Amino acid sequence: MLPYLLLYCLHRFNGERSLAAVYHLLSGKKSAQTLQDSKWFQLEHVFGVCKTISLLELEQTAQELLMQKWIVSIDERSYMLTEAGRRELEQWLPSARFFAHLNGSFYHAVDTLFWYRLSLAVQTLSNLVHRYKFAPIHRHEATLAWVKKYFLSQTKPAHDLAQALYQELHALCSSLPEEEATIFTLRLTSFERIGWTNEQIALFFRKDPLYIQLMFQHLLHYMMKRIERESHLFPVLHEFVKDLVKPVSLTLSAQKTYEWLQKGKTIAEIARIRKLKRNTIEDHIVEIAANVREFSIEPFVAEETRRMIMKEATRLGTRQLKKIRDAVGHHVSYFEIRLVLAKAGELRAS
Amino acid sequence: MHLEQLLEKTFGYRTFRLGQKEIIEDVLGKYDVLAMLPTGGGKSICYQLPGYVLGGNVLIVSPLVSLMEDQVQQLRMRGEKRVIALNSFLPDEMKKAALANLRYFRFIYASPEILQSPLWLQALKKAAIALFVVDEAHCISQWGPDFRPDFLKLGMIRAQLGHPPCLALTATATPEVMNDVIETLQLTNVRKHIYPVDRQNIAIQVECVASADEKLERLLYYAKTLQGPGIIYVSSRQWAETLARKLQAEGMEGVAYYHGGMDPEQRMLVQQQFLCDQLQIVCCTNAFGMGVNKENVRYVLHFHLPGQMEAYVQEIGRAGRDGKNSLAILLYTHGDEDMVQSLIEAELPTEEQIRLFVEHGSSALRSMLGISDVQWRLLQYLFEKEASAHTAEEIVANLREAIDRRRKWKRKKLEQMRLFLFRPSCRREQIVSYFHQSLTNKPENCCDRCTFSLESYRLKRHDEPAWTFCGWEEELKRIFRNEEYTWIKGNKSNR
Repeated sequence: MLPYLLLYCLHRFNGERSLAAVYHLLSGKKSAQTLQDSKWFQLEHVFGVCKTISLLELEQTAQELLMQKWIVSIDERSYMLTEAGRRELEQWLPSARFFAHLNGSFYHAVDTLFWYRLSLAVQTLSNLVHRYKFAPIHRHEATLAWVKKYFLSQTKPAHDLAQALYQELHALCSSLPEEEATIFTLRLTSFERIGWTNEQIALFFRKDPLYIQLMFQHLLHYMMKRIERESHLFPVLHEFVKDLVKPVSLTLSAQKTYEWLQKGKTIAEIARIRKLKRNTIEDHIVEIAANVREFSIEPFVAEETRRMIMKEATRLGTRQLKKIRDAVGHHVSYFEIRLVLAKAGELRAS
Repeated sequence: MHLEQLLEKTFGYRTFRLGQKEIIEDVLGKYDVLAMLPTGGGKSICYQLPGYVLGGNVLIVSPLVSLMEDQVQQLRMRGEKRVIALNSFLPDEMKKAALANLRYFRFIYASPEILQSPLWLQALKKAAIALFVVDEAHCISQWGPDFRPDFLKLGMIRAQLGHPPCLALTATATPEVMNDVIETLQLTNVRKHIYPVDRQNIAIQVECVASADEKLERLLYYAKTLQGPGIIYVSSRQWAETLARKLQAEGMEGVAYYHGGMDPEQRMLVQQQFLCDQLQIVCCTNAFGMGVNKENVRYVLHFHLPGQMEAYVQEIGRAGRDGKNSLAILLYTHGDEDMVQSLIEAELPTEEQIRLFVEHGSSALRSMLGISDVQWRLLQYLFEKEASAHTAEEIVANLREAIDRRRKWKRKKLEQMRLFLFRPSCRREQIVSYFHQSLTNKPENCCDRCTFSLESYRLKRHDEPAWTFCGWEEELKRIFRNEEYTWIKGNKSNR
């Protein structure tokens, strides 16, 4: 599993970064360089998803890949994929289902907190409804304090709260494939059963522990996203999430545009529906790009163009649209340049 | 109220265990007390019960964050709310509240590092510390196996807190270490309570085998045939994982590994699973065990040689806390001491590191020099002892010499461990005489030197699994006690 994940990162880095960059990326180093890299090479979703990984492990894995002739060394500690490596990666990608919702750069700092709260609350409720004394599964004082406060503020009887949480978790799990719902459920600690470790779940499914670890993070990210977006459907779970994820601050009009975009409408369509100028919609999109982390500008700017804009912007050390446009060529629109800069700027601000 | 009544009311025990009452009486009499109780002998009662008698706060200095957390947890489980653990993981909000009103807490646990902080020390001065407890007090001694330089300053800190009476607790201290403890903590008017280190219900077996392969074979044999739950100690993280996977590959269920390199949540899951009998075997490094209060551990198996007797005695002491017959097995093959030897070397700073440390000794350089926590603490401690008047050259030479002394001392410890393996006399007698005690009574199942039968330790029970997985939907229903849950045989929640 790790060999493929490394292959994936090296492929995106395209020989322009060393193994240390992969290490910083996966372990989630919060340096400007790493954050920028993760954007630049479109690896934000794997930012900080293997926090306990060591550089040594990556070095050993790179050696394996070299021996397999899936990568070649092009510089000291930077690598490119061979034809065979690319084929392997392509064959593997469909099985890497965690890429569906994995969103490291957005959730890496809060997914654990969400999980700690949720799992401790589930453990507490489960033991409450079974009338059983228990030792909390986390020793994280902030979480203990949060969950205590949460239960003290509840007016519902434990049984009712348990059923409400059950319904919400059931709804979330039902929307997931069997395997993912199972992973999530097995991780939960409850009355008479301490939750399983990733390793134990891996054994159960005969999969790699790292696969389970990434799947589990993907699950949490999926759940957090849905709970946040559809808070009216998940009133109980929303309590666990709401202070963790910063609310998106968009102007009302941009918010509307964002909603249409999410429904799959094009700029022209939205302009027509909302009876607004195309320019206005474009302004909204720039605003969204600057404020919404998980918003991808991919549909509006070709990857090639994006790289070119970033390269020139960095080279010139400027954010002046005209200078950049002169450098990249007039086939690139101001909208594209603004979008790319907005996205990069959103990054710097965080 | 009689102490016994208080014991029953607060802790639910009818009677005191060996030594507890005498120790508590001296603590309440405001003496300085040094107490050595056997492993699992109920040391915490000795300061927790006085906490309900003395008017004031009990400060407990504890060397390990996890140990501290476990004890706070156990107190809270008993309904004690006025308890707090001061360590660097304390969230800001709670830190502020605690600083403002430390006096509120009946029990204050603190790491020695936190006591170096003027902020906390100031807050502690304003509280009314009625008892100053040092848990695992052997860590104080420079010659103790888990030497922690920060412990050395505890005597001074105690003085700053107005010299409250002190209780120093340990399970494994030689007379040499005890004297160190008394001196460092500046104990005066000290009452010593030394109880036998020997644990009569633990049979001791040492097995020397011809090769590493044979050792593995023996391990598999024991893991499959001994009555669990059991702990298997190894000397590295890598080995903990390897052995657990080997046992799993042999088709054994309920096996997991535990070491300090794991993510905290996964570590906690393994610990709790073991406590709740969801696991039969944990393969682990010495990171596992302290603070794990599991009564029914039936055996402790050492797959690698511990570096010294103190560690060995601590670790086998995790067996049989319920008083029932238990087993300690140590597997040895020629060359195992080389591994310990290299671990010793790895823990000591190299010549190069000493020199760089003295020349550029700032923590910023630490990661560049590749200095581990253990090495760093040792270097800092030794460095602080050097007067600033020396030249760099002299300091380097002195440090080198001090580290060399430590190396020799550790080798001596290892040599004693080796002697224990090969000496033809009773293992139990050897252990007690190491701690300068004598054996008054030999149990029927004593040790391999005195011959005993492994028969009674063999696997007897095949427990039905308490829980079987019936798909995520059923499991969710079970967790939340949903009405639609179909109770099935085998799930003992059926009540």
